[in-house]
Amino acid sequence: MLAKLSIHSLMDRKGSVMLSLMAMTVSIFVLLGVEHIRHQAKDNFSSTVSGVDLIVGGRTGSINLLLYSVFRIGAPTNNIRWQTYENITNSKQVKWAIPISLGDSHKGYRVLGTTKNYFQHFSYGKKHHLEFFSGHKFDRLFDVVLGAEVASKLGYKLGDKVALAHGIASTSFSKHDDRPFTVVGILSATGTPVDQTLHVSLQGIEAIHIDWQQGVKTSNSTITQSELEQADLQPKSITAFMLGLNSKIATFQVQRAINEYTPEPVVAILPGVVLSELWGMIGVLENTLLLVSALIFVSACLGVSAMLLASIRERRYEIQLLRIVGAPPYVLFLLIELEVLMITLLSCVLAGGLLAVCLAVLHDTLVSHYGLNIEINLLTEDSLYLIAAMLSASIIVAVIPSFSGYRKARATSV
Amino acid sequence: MAIKLTDIRFHYSGQPNNRVLNIPSWSLKTGEQAFVQGPSGGGKSTLLGLLSGLLTPSHGQVTVLGERLDEMSGRQRDQFRASHIGYVFQQFNLMPYINAIDNLLLAARFSSRKNSNLLKDEIKTLFGALNISEKEWYRPTRDLSIGQQQRVAIARALINKPQLLIADEPTSSLDKANRDAFMKLLMPMVVDNQMTLLFVSHDLSLSSYFTKVESLSDFNSSEAIG
Repeated sequence: MLAKLSIHSLMDRKGSVMLSLMAMTVSIFVLLGVEHIRHQAKDNFSSTVSGVDLIVGGRTGSINLLLYSVFRIGAPTNNIRWQTYENITNSKQVKWAIPISLGDSHKGYRVLGTTKNYFQHFSYGKKHHLEFFSGHKFDRLFDVVLGAEVASKLGYKLGDKVALAHGIASTSFSKHDDRPFTVVGILSATGTPVDQTLHVSLQGIEAIHIDWQQGVKTSNSTITQSELEQADLQPKSITAFMLGLNSKIATFQVQRAINEYTPEPVVAILPGVVLSELWGMIGVLENTLLLVSALIFVSACLGVSAMLLASIRERRYEIQLLRIVGAPPYVLFLLIELEVLMITLLSCVLAGGLLAVCLAVLHDTLVSHYGLNIEINLLTEDSLYLIAAMLSASIIVAVIPSFSGYRKARATSV
Repeated sequence: MAIKLTDIRFHYSGQPNNRVLNIPSWSLKTGEQAFVQGPSGGGKSTLLGLLSGLLTPSHGQVTVLGERLDEMSGRQRDQFRASHIGYVFQQFNLMPYINAIDNLLLAARFSSRKNSNLLKDEIKTLFGALNISEKEWYRPTRDLSIGQQQRVAIARALINKPQLLIADEPTSSLDKANRDAFMKLLMPMVVDNQMTLLFVSHDLSLSSYFTKVESLSDFNSSEAIG
C-alpha cells in the first residue's frame, strides 16, 4: 500500500520528479559508464600481451622495457647483440623466442622487425593468437604485414607499396624510399598496440640499412635488389626479445639466469607483473575519474532530496490526512525514503539500458578507433556492487527530507 | 461516556502565557450527536487535536471511549485513532491522486483490523450505502465533484467502524443542496452504527440535526486566540 501510495504520489508530481529522474539517470549513466569502461580498459590493458613468459632487453628499467617492447612507446636504451639472443634462446628451458627490432617508422606508426615466430606465438587477451584479416605472413625480404589500424587509417590494401622512414618521428626527412615494402598481409583488430604496428622481417630491417652509416644514408646506393637477396642479412643486434618457456615454474629461475648473464648487461621482466605496475600508475587518473562521477551522483542525490524537501510543504495536507487515519510519523519517513529509492531504482534501470544501447552502438567504433574492446554485458559483479552502493547512498542522502517529513508529521494536528 | 475532559489546560510549547484551552470539565455521552459551535480561532482545532490524540494537553485528563489518551504513548494514540475514531475534514479528506477504493484501503491499513479479505466487499457495501456509483470507485478522487468527494470522505471515516466520529466543518465547502444531502446521508449512518458524533461548525443552521448543541465558549474559559 505504501509503495502504491508513493508511486502515485510521484506520478502526481510528474514535472519535478521527471527532472530529478533525468538528473539521476544521467549521473548514474556516467558513473556506471566510467566504472564499466575502467574495468574493461584495465582488462584490455592487462591483456595487451599474454602467453609471453619473459621479455628480455638491454639493461634498463622494467617499465621502460615493457613500454618500448610491447607498447612501442619511447626509445630503447640499448640494443642487445644477436649472439646474446642466440645464447639465451638455446637454453633447454626456452620453448620459443620472438626477436624484436625497432627503430624505423612509417607515418608515425612503428615498424617492428621480427620473425615468423611472432605470428605463431605472440598472443594477447585470453590467449588469442594474431589472425590475418587478409593476406599472409611475410615471406620475402620486402614484405610487410600491417596492423589493423595502420591499414584502415592509412587506407592500405594488399599489394600496396610502403616506404619506411628512418627514426620514429611522424615526419621524417630520411626515408628508405629507395627500397619500398609490399603489403602482403593485414591483421585483424586486436585492441592492442599490434594494431598500430608494421611488421617486417629482421632481414628486411637489415636490408634497408645496409648502405647506411651512423644513421645517415650514404649517397647513391649501388646495391641491387638481387644482390640484397643474396647478401648475408643476419642482424648483428636486436632491440629485445620475448620468450616462451617449457615450464612456467622455471620462469623465475630463467629470469635470474638472464639477469646474471655476464657477456652483456641484459634484463628479463615478467610482462604480467610490470603491466600491473604500469596500470597502478595510470590508475591515479581513472580513480580521479571515478571520484568525479561519484560526486556527480551525490549531487544528483542531493537534487532529488532537495526536490522532496521542497515538496513537503505543499504536501502538508497529505501528511495531516495520513496522521488522522492513524499513520505513525515514521510512516512519513518511510514514504519519502521509498520515493527516493524508486527514483534511484528507475534511474538505474534507465541508465543501465541507455549505457547498454550506447555500448552496443559504439562497440565497433571503440574497437577500431580506440582499440577498446568493451563488453556490452553490464551485469558484472562489480556493477551490481556499484548499484548497491548507489542505492545505499541515495537512502542515506534521503534521510534529510525523510526526517523533515517525519518531524512535520509529528508536529501535525488538525 | 464517549468523551470526558477534566481540568484541561493547553498552550503551545514555548507560549505558556498564551493559553488556548481551559476546560474545567466537559463530556459527551455515548451515542450522543453533539453540535459544537465555535468561531474559527476559538480553540476549536486544538480541542479536536486533543480528542484525536494528535495533541496532548499541557494539563488535565482526556478520556475518549474510556481510554486515557493523555497517558498513552504516541504510537498507542495513533493506533487508537486509527481503530476507534473517524474523522471528516472540511476539505482534503482524500489522497487526491489515488482512487476511492485505495483511499479506503489506506485508511484501513493503520487500524487494528487484520482481515483484509473481506475489506473490499465492505468498502463496496459502504459505497453502495452512501450512493457512490461504481464508475467513481476507480477514478483518482480529485476527479470527483466536491459532493462526491465528501461522500467518499464519510466512507473513509467509517471504514474502520469507529465508535466516535469527529466532523470538522465538513459542510463548509458545500452549497446548500449538497449540504443537506450530506447531512441526510451522514446522520442515519451515525444512528445505524450507534456512533457518537462530535460535529464542529460555525453554521448554526445545521443544529436541528443534533441531540445536543453547545458553544465552545460555554465550556472553554480561555480567551486566547488559537
